[in-house]
Amino acid sequence: MTREPLPLLQGTVDVLILKALAWAPMHGYGISIWIRQRANDDLAVEDAALYQALHRLERKGWVESEWGISENNRRAKFYAIGKAGRRQLRSEVVELRRYFEALFRVLDTA
Amino acid sequence: MFLPWGTRAQMREGVHDELEFHIAMAAAELVASGWNAFDADVEARRRFGDIEYTESYCSAEDLRRQREKRRMTAFDELFRDLRYTVRTLSRAPAFTLIVLCTLALGIGANTAIFSVVRAVLLEPLPFPAADRLVRVWHENTSTDIRKGAVSEPDFLDWRRESKLAESMGGYFFADGMTAIDLTGDGPPENVSAALVGEGLFETLRTQPMLGRAIGAEDQLAGRNRVVMLGYGIWENRYGSAPDIIGRRITLNSEPFTVIGVMPRGFTYPSDGPLSVWVPLSVFGPDDIGRSRGSRFLSVVARLKPGVSQAQFEAEMNGVASRLASTYTANAGWETVSLESVRESIVGNVQRPLSLLLGAVALVLLITCVNVASLLLTRGSTRQRELAVRAALGAGRRRIVRQLLTESLTLALLGGALGALLAFLALRTLASSGVAGLPRGSDVTLDGSVLAYTLGISLLSGLLFGVVPTMRVAGASFEGALRAGGRGSVGKSGNRLRSGLVVAQVALAVILITGAGLTTKSLLRLLAVDMGFNPRNALVISMAVPDEFHEPPEAANRYYESILQAIRAGPGVRAVGSVRDLPTRGNGEMWKPDAVGSPLQPDQSPAAQLHHVSSDFFKAMEIPLRSGRYFAATDRRGAPTVLLVNEEFARRFWPGEDATGKSLRSGDATISIVGVVGNVRQRGPAEAVEPTIYIHAAQNFRSRMNIVVRTDGEPTAIANSARQAVWSVNKDQTISSVATLEETIGRAVSRPRLLASLLVLFGVLGLTLGVIGIYGVLAFAVTQRRQEIGVRVALGATPRSVLGMILGQGLRLSAAGVVVGIAGAAALAGTMQAVLFNVPAIDAVTFVQTIAVLMGAALLASWIPARRALAIDPAAALRAD
Repeated sequence: MTREPLPLLQGTVDVLILKALAWAPMHGYGISIWIRQRANDDLAVEDAALYQALHRLERKGWVESEWGISENNRRAKFYAIGKAGRRQLRSEVVELRRYFEALFRVLDTA
Repeated sequence: MFLPWGTRAQMREGVHDELEFHIAMAAAELVASGWNAFDADVEARRRFGDIEYTESYCSAEDLRRQREKRRMTAFDELFRDLRYTVRTLSRAPAFTLIVLCTLALGIGANTAIFSVVRAVLLEPLPFPAADRLVRVWHENTSTDIRKGAVSEPDFLDWRRESKLAESMGGYFFADGMTAIDLTGDGPPENVSAALVGEGLFETLRTQPMLGRAIGAEDQLAGRNRVVMLGYGIWENRYGSAPDIIGRRITLNSEPFTVIGVMPRGFTYPSDGPLSVWVPLSVFGPDDIGRSRGSRFLSVVARLKPGVSQAQFEAEMNGVASRLASTYTANAGWETVSLESVRESIVGNVQRPLSLLLGAVALVLLITCVNVASLLLTRGSTRQRELAVRAALGAGRRRIVRQLLTESLTLALLGGALGALLAFLALRTLASSGVAGLPRGSDVTLDGSVLAYTLGISLLSGLLFGVVPTMRVAGASFEGALRAGGRGSVGKSGNRLRSGLVVAQVALAVILITGAGLTTKSLLRLLAVDMGFNPRNALVISMAVPDEFHEPPEAANRYYESILQAIRAGPGVRAVGSVRDLPTRGNGEMWKPDAVGSPLQPDQSPAAQLHHVSSDFFKAMEIPLRSGRYFAATDRRGAPTVLLVNEEFARRFWPGEDATGKSLRSGDATISIVGVVGNVRQRGPAEAVEPTIYIHAAQNFRSRMNIVVRTDGEPTAIANSARQAVWSVNKDQTISSVATLEETIGRAVSRPRLLASLLVLFGVLGLTLGVIGIYGVLAFAVTQRRQEIGVRVALGATPRSVLGMILGQGLRLSAAGVVVGIAGAAALAGTMQAVLFNVPAIDAVTFVQTIAVLMGAALLASWIPARRALAIDPAAALRAD
């Protein structure tokens, strides 16, 4: 693993979290593992940013939280995606795709 | 969400735990890949990033989320409370209806009166920086004239010499006197006009809506045929024509150019609608005298910023006294008196209106007390329902909030109905005299009035809602649950309700006293002998048109032929004419030089001079005291003769007959041929003034108020009289036809309005008070069923049971009456100012009020008492 992970674009943390939670409810650590595995360590989600995003998303009503017991028997806060969160995820994915497609249409013509 | 609301510290702790879990997991992962425990922890923390900042960021987000959630919940609860309220209220329709009607009346009355007060007293005057505007009157202390008009030469001197006034303007306006014939573009009309002297609009600074205002250059001869229109006439007669500026219109048979249109609501100097403003210079010295002795101008001044009224008054007094010592015509006119323009416009309606506002506030208080007591009655029957809710987990705060929601809902619904009621009331009031108030035409129910309605509705809701709520807050619900189905109010509940009744009666007493006093005052006013017979007489108002003024004989002929034509009609007993009818004008002022009077010339009072026709006294039925009336022989060319009233004779020749005496005017000596009875020219509440009558044939005036004495109903001949006028000249404009009673009645229209409104509010207060007494007693009887049953079973007579209940009602009322009378006495000072010939502490009125209230209280107690008698002791004891 010699490649440096890419810093994240503004706002993409939110959509990654939503995507992870759409998979299954999990705690913050679980989310960070999930993203790391899918991205083959190419995307670096800073832990601090992850938690800030989680609480922000909860305030916006896109995710809900609940205290529970983790797989190793410790008290942990679990997050789950709500209906509004799923809607948000869908629309953000569409937006991102449009954005990058347009971006690469321009870049590839060169 | 079942999470209890957390504090800021709890939030922070939660976030801390969450992050610590993450670090522990990350460290464990590192340990698993071979790190030692201490280094793993340090590394995990390093990789995490800024822990401190993240903690505070996250807990801040959580706090925000909680606050938003809490707000949502409050909203939810409010909605639930509202739904619950609607359900409970619709389950008790009679209760709801009574409460809503009561509130609608109370709030409606307040809204209506407030809308009048706002338009008349609170709205800013239509002048920029109006607080610097003052009216300036010429004062003559030796003849006791405080608010004298100003002659044109004096006014011009004042204007030139004053350093403290930024500008000064003069005008001539008298309601009903300064009117102009408008012809063309529609039927001929006699329209109200203000004659604008130098500097008026420069001083007022109000901008016309269209065109420009009359300025200095418009006073110049040859350029002064210009006119400004009022909004009303522009809208109605000229269809709001935007191109009206520059158009020619015909006034007094002459062409005038329209130069401006004033904005809606601007009627200065008139209280009512004003049609046109024309330059004063249109009327030359032949029409209106311009010597120092002819005082006719009203003067308004704009003070320089920072100048006080007192400073200006001192300056003007200096100017006036200099003029008084320079010109003989100004002898005695040594000072001025000032009045702010606001005061001059609304001064004499301020107190009656404030009084009415106070009265409706009392009505609203009674309403609130009434509703509070109704809610209390209901509250005690609902005690069980509330106890059940409390037992099911509703907090006390929640129940209090539910009750307040109920009160506020009632108040707001009542307020909405009240606004509707006020709207209807204002339409009625508009036709019955509010329009006669200064700025009365501006009275509307607009946003700010409705905001006021909303405000007093909420305030009432809190006021009457807080009483039953207090009871709940302090009540023990367990007791209520155990007390069985009937529910009960303890001793404190009864005391509270009794206190409310006492308050209600006391407030009603104050209102009824006020109503009684103003009614009595009105009756005294109406009963005043005006000095003539107002019944069975018609008044036709018109003026001899200018084209008949030359030669002078023609004017007199025209004048006489009009009178003769009317006289010839059917059912006419006598026809006479006068320039100014009583209460509608005060004639011309003349300071006579009475031959042989013991009075020194400088002591003699000014007299009113009235121009009349031969039969004026017969038509008015003014009695002759000595000498003779005018006759047809007193014509132009014959020696001028005068009649005087008794007051004149008494003042100038005390103890002597004035017939045969004479007055000096310049070189001429004019003899008095008769003395007639006193007429209250200024109105029923004003003193009689020395008065001189002169025959119009010997001293012509064009304005005619023709009094037609009829055999029967005067309105029956209105048409034939009008036709008679037009048979002489089909183009003659008639400004009004009305009965003499109506014409005079306008002088008492304000006291009449005040009295009738106060009576209305008094009756309202009394009715509500009676309902209150009835409610308390009826409830007490229901509550004491068992006790009464026991008493009857133990041998109490019907009479003693009846006495017990009636006694309770009368005791409460008596307490209320005592408090109320004390309150009424305390308000006597305020009342006195609006009363005529009635002391504000009038024993008779007070006794009448007490009788009315105690009678009503007896009536209200009677029904519950009868109900108590009907209680079957066996059934009452078995119950429950």
